[in-house]
Amino acid sequence: MAELKLVDIKKSYGAAKILHGIDLDIADGEFVVFVGPSGCGKSTLLRIIAGLEHVSEGEILIDGHSVVGVPASDRGLAMVFQSYALYPHMSVFKNMAFALENMGLGRQEIDQRVRRAAQMLQLTDYLDRKPKALSGGQRQRVAIGRAIVRDPKIFLFDEPLSNLDAELRVATRKELAALHGQIGGTMIYVTHDQVEAMTLADRIVVLRAGRIEQIGTPLDVYNRPANLFVAGFIGSPRMNLLPGRVVGPDAIRIGNEPHMIAMPLPEGLHVDDEITLGVRPEHMDVTARDDADLAITLDLVEHLGGETYLYGSTPGLAQITVKQDGQTAYQRGTRLRLHFRRDAFHLFDVAGRALRAN
Amino acid sequence: MPGVEPLPKTTARPSIVAWLGIPFVLAMRIVDYPMRALQRALGEQRMAYVFLLPNLIFFSLFVFAPIVINVIFSVTGGPALFPSERPFVGAGQYAYLFDCGSYLDPSTCREDHFWRGVANTFRFTASQVVAMVLLSLLTAVVLNMKIRGRGFFRAVYFFPVLLSPVVVALIWKWILQRDGLLNAGIIGLGGERILFLVEPGWAMFWAVFVSIWAHMGFYTLILLAGLQAIPSDIYEAAEMDATPRWRVFLRLTLPLLWPNLIVVIVLALIRGVQTFDEVFVLTGGGPGTATLMIVQYIYETAFSNQVQNFGLAAAASVVLGVVLCLLTGLQLALSRRKAA
Repeated sequence: MAELKLVDIKKSYGAAKILHGIDLDIADGEFVVFVGPSGCGKSTLLRIIAGLEHVSEGEILIDGHSVVGVPASDRGLAMVFQSYALYPHMSVFKNMAFALENMGLGRQEIDQRVRRAAQMLQLTDYLDRKPKALSGGQRQRVAIGRAIVRDPKIFLFDEPLSNLDAELRVATRKELAALHGQIGGTMIYVTHDQVEAMTLADRIVVLRAGRIEQIGTPLDVYNRPANLFVAGFIGSPRMNLLPGRVVGPDAIRIGNEPHMIAMPLPEGLHVDDEITLGVRPEHMDVTARDDADLAITLDLVEHLGGETYLYGSTPGLAQITVKQDGQTAYQRGTRLRLHFRRDAFHLFDVAGRALRAN
Repeated sequence: MPGVEPLPKTTARPSIVAWLGIPFVLAMRIVDYPMRALQRALGEQRMAYVFLLPNLIFFSLFVFAPIVINVIFSVTGGPALFPSERPFVGAGQYAYLFDCGSYLDPSTCREDHFWRGVANTFRFTASQVVAMVLLSLLTAVVLNMKIRGRGFFRAVYFFPVLLSPVVVALIWKWILQRDGLLNAGIIGLGGERILFLVEPGWAMFWAVFVSIWAHMGFYTLILLAGLQAIPSDIYEAAEMDATPRWRVFLRLTLPLLWPNLIVVIVLALIRGVQTFDEVFVLTGGGPGTATLMIVQYIYETAFSNQVQNFGLAAAASVVLGVVLCLLTGLQLALSRRKAA
């Protein structure tokens, strides 16, 4: 196990700048997830930490020692690839033993380590099989086993669940969480799937276009998004972002809506300031009151059984998503009045930065 | 027809392609009716054989029939060309071919040229295959690296494959002959003229060398394709596993390249055994019989000697055919074992 420090990491390919100065501290034993849309640089950052890509500028410190210029093979890290990258001609046992043979360990030690990892990952019955005779989930477990046997300083995961079907993804996600609890290593995990990020991470690092947008615990990032991007990216279905304007002390107006919405506003806002109101779909209630915050016409109703998603529109605003617990009888075309919960809304200034109410 | 919408009528004028298509459509219509009738008579399954028939006829006429005629020639004797006029001699031609005091010493054989051809072909093939595989592998590995001008070098190595074997042999003959380019260079540097195509050791060396030069590009291409088919993340995983480079090559690259290597080894073996044109043009099988190959022996026995001995040549061809079948069987067996 080890701690990792990234100082002003920059990466360019020719004129294309991929990472614009990443600063990050990862504590010993922490599970950190890099999350962001495709092309945000999360995999590049992971590969730079691994040593598979050179860093253009900046410093990488593992346990206080710089590893810039140190080849991947000498960094003592282990990586689980999206494609598993198993050696196809070797059995499961040999796949896991390969790195240990490189380390010059004795037969008995190798055998012990491989069998311990296989037991942990329920692979004991498959040790003689070749990767092609395994299911996707089993292959991924072999890839994880190959990392575990080496007892690395840091585990790196590059979208390890992307190639699995939905059911297996959930199961393997749980196994990974349990594994972290069991072996407790420092783990860095890259994904574009925010559910994986929310469920696995001690801390989430949200990246966009080569920059860190926010670092925090999953609930921190969910409850207090630092900006419009994070607010829109984290949470499924995504947060409703409604452009509006301050119209008075503790009062705003959104879109073309004629009436004012009364809500506590942070200091520093003035009448006529442009703002964006963020309300998560689960923080809107359908109401019969006359003083509803917004009225929409339903375009689509999705029944998921345990919950219902309502998609509606109103002139001047993007489509609004409302999440209702249980099952509802609303039909397409129904006019609904919505009330925003006052304890769970978000405000963003014209630059997209979060504004916190007092 | 109910349930089928009529095609929309178009007012656009038909293009030139449409006009050119008219004869094709007409021909298809004409073929259509008898084919439908045939399918009704034979059923869908047997119809497949009808489509295979044209190629089967060509195969029978130009491949299978000559093989049969060749076997008939090999068990008959005399100078006559038509099988019906040739007397049956049983295994006589084979007995004559294989009549040897010691198979390791061609001079003890009645048909010593055949055995010299066998010995030369064996030496040629063995040295050519080993050198060819090693050099192609090395070249493919280098051409697979991220080097400057990679595309240019790939083209350069493949270019000789495009040349006719006769052209290849003539180019090298021009370089290697008594007053050739190479000797001019050696003399220019103060050395003594070497008779590359006259001294037996040199002649065989250059026969092997020229063959490798001419065909290496093809085998390099097969191995290069194999190398490129190995996913790069396997090498990254090996790097993360702290694998030394030599071990990456021996434990990952070579085993993953094995199917391509089998193809290269067996194709090179088959081509080596069949070698004729390049060596024939380069050395004429000489000096003496130093570079005489089996195929040249067969050719000369059948067509260019004063007494044209078709029967003996046919028997030698059958022996060569059996060897080639064994080699092909070896390739299939190795490929299947690897696949299993």
